[in-house]
Amino acid sequence: MPLGGIIFIIFFIAVFGVILIYLARAIGGVAKRTSEAKMEIYECGIPEMEKKDTKISVNFYLTAILFILFDIEIIFMYPWAVNFREFISAGAGTYVFISMAIFLAIFIYGLWWEIKSKALDWEN
Amino acid sequence: MSMDAVLFWFLSIVVIGAGLSVVLMSNPIYSALSLVMTMVGVAALFATLNAYFLAGVQLIVYTGAVMVLFVMVLMLFDLKRELQAFSRGKITGFFKIAGVGVLAGLLVGVITFTTQKTSLIAEGSPLAADIAAQAASGADNTKILSENLFLKNILGFELLGVLLLVIAIGVVALSRSKGGTHARD
Amino acid sequence: MSSMGTTTFEIVINLVKTVLIFLMMVQAVPILVWLERRGSGFIQNRFGPNRVGPLGLVQLLADAVKFLNKEDFVPDKGNRFLFYAAPVFALIPAAVAFMAIPMSTPLTVGDSTFLIQGYEVNIGIVFILGISAMAVYTMLMAGWGSSSKFSLMGAMRAAAQVISYELALGLAIVGVILVYGTFNLTEMIVAQQGPLRFSGFGFDFVAPTAFLPNWGIFFQPLGAILLFCAAFAESNRLPFDLAEGEAELVAGFHTEYGGFKMLMFFIGEYGHMMIAAGLMTTFYFGGYGIPGWTTQEVYAAGLSMFGNETAASVFNTAIHFLSFNIKFAIFLWIFIHVRWTLPRFRYDQLMDIGWKTMLPWALFNTILTATVIFLASQYIIG
Repeated sequence: MPLGGIIFIIFFIAVFGVILIYLARAIGGVAKRTSEAKMEIYECGIPEMEKKDTKISVNFYLTAILFILFDIEIIFMYPWAVNFREFISAGAGTYVFISMAIFLAIFIYGLWWEIKSKALDWEN
Repeated sequence: MSMDAVLFWFLSIVVIGAGLSVVLMSNPIYSALSLVMTMVGVAALFATLNAYFLAGVQLIVYTGAVMVLFVMVLMLFDLKRELQAFSRGKITGFFKIAGVGVLAGLLVGVITFTTQKTSLIAEGSPLAADIAAQAASGADNTKILSENLFLKNILGFELLGVLLLVIAIGVVALSRSKGGTHARD
Repeated sequence: MSSMGTTTFEIVINLVKTVLIFLMMVQAVPILVWLERRGSGFIQNRFGPNRVGPLGLVQLLADAVKFLNKEDFVPDKGNRFLFYAAPVFALIPAAVAFMAIPMSTPLTVGDSTFLIQGYEVNIGIVFILGISAMAVYTMLMAGWGSSSKFSLMGAMRAAAQVISYELALGLAIVGVILVYGTFNLTEMIVAQQGPLRFSGFGFDFVAPTAFLPNWGIFFQPLGAILLFCAAFAESNRLPFDLAEGEAELVAGFHTEYGGFKMLMFFIGEYGHMMIAAGLMTTFYFGGYGIPGWTTQEVYAAGLSMFGNETAASVFNTAIHFLSFNIKFAIFLWIFIHVRWTLPRFRYDQLMDIGWKTMLPWALFNTILTATVIFLASQYIIG
């Protein structure tokens, strides 16, 4: 794996981006004539509302946690998928196929349960 | 110094530096972002050990999923109160000292283990032979991984599926419970 | 620097190449913006930018100058570090992931061989998925750093949307891995060379004409549709651009941004579009391959034309680079066309599509592919 090249290009892009930002700052200049209204965060003409105490639907957390779980299950399919043909040619095809079928059945039951329990509904 | 050694030292410094900033930063958001950096560094270290698939999994699961949840949750709270609560007080002082103690113990343990040159895996065992063969080939070890996972330890693999199902159901059940700060309204 | 070359010359060339690909990517963005504006004008029966230069092509230069002249601005309550770091970070995941996509056959000059891609990663797909998943942090950093409610809501929505569609994307890719049996993108393209062929159930089928290529789309039509749809959501494009639904959220996570910093978010977004187009080309449409001719045949034709191995290699690389770019451009155009054709979804519809429609269909695709591969190896028909 060309780790050196990847690290190099990450550094290059970071430096490139910082230079661009400083260039834009140097040419465009920093905000000089400031007023209270200008430096406020954006709001449609009414006094600013800060982000603190923002109530966010619990659905966002739920989505993130369920994503982690399903993502892990999907990741387990990757090494299985990449070696599936080799398993078949080695004579272990049926065994591996059935073992993944059981895993997938658990996966599908989980997904079906989540959908049925309305955990994934956003309408309310 | 060979190129691999340079890479190893560079990545070690990145990981340790990022790991230290997780505990030293007073702003929880910075801590979480440093933890992301640590995870990326660990993934790169996996890649230096030829564990490419593991590196990819580290990237997808830890930086792409787990840390997103951490950062999302942290960003939704008013952090000023937490900043004060965790930067002073006797209880946090105790935790700090205890944390330093545990860290020091771990460091001593790691140094003694690595300098003794004795591997935890017994010489001549099949696992040691496997590892030696794989290290000699330097090839991708996804095949060994999937062989272990899907042929040798199939029960553990299926139980893991059940465990993930239990977690998924538990999460939904917890999010339904009334009261507390996370009640659905 | 393992596998970035053996000699100093090769390493230097390879590093310069990564920089060049990154700059090409950045350069492609103004052209795509121009194409998008002209294309939207064409679709909506108006002109689009046509005053500055021939066909309005210099408009993008004028835009860049205007962006540079905008004054630098951070809201008082914003977190300055994250506010500046987010646009810089927006460039990284897209560019790093894009470089793993092979764009042409390797170029052989003398003893050295240069890949026409940033670097070859042997776990290509997993690497690209893992790196491009990190784009979520850009949005979260920008949303939190600008300290605005609109930004934060936009960032949350974008993050939830991106991670939701990553599931369908990841599962659609399982079908691809099953078909090719590898993570490596170059090996996938090599497997798609030659006429359409299929062996299983006791017989071997080969297409009668070489112009019916052995492309993945014939094995994974459902997977291709799912991956393409998920890619729209991943790159936050219409009809999935809920992150910046301007009716509700002003501009989503970059509400407070302007000038060059805003442009850098654009580069990131278009970068994700390019990754999606490149992956579609590589997985389902033969990568840089040309239907009817294999790479060896093109190389042999070049050899007979020029009588020189280096010239033949250059010819081979150039032809396949062109082939890749034609397919690539078609997908980019589909991205643009869809944006100006379909309306935006509502947020609950978006989540329903991701979790309740695309995820089950992707699961079905995986099961179907695995079952067919398994049965084809076990049973003989007739």
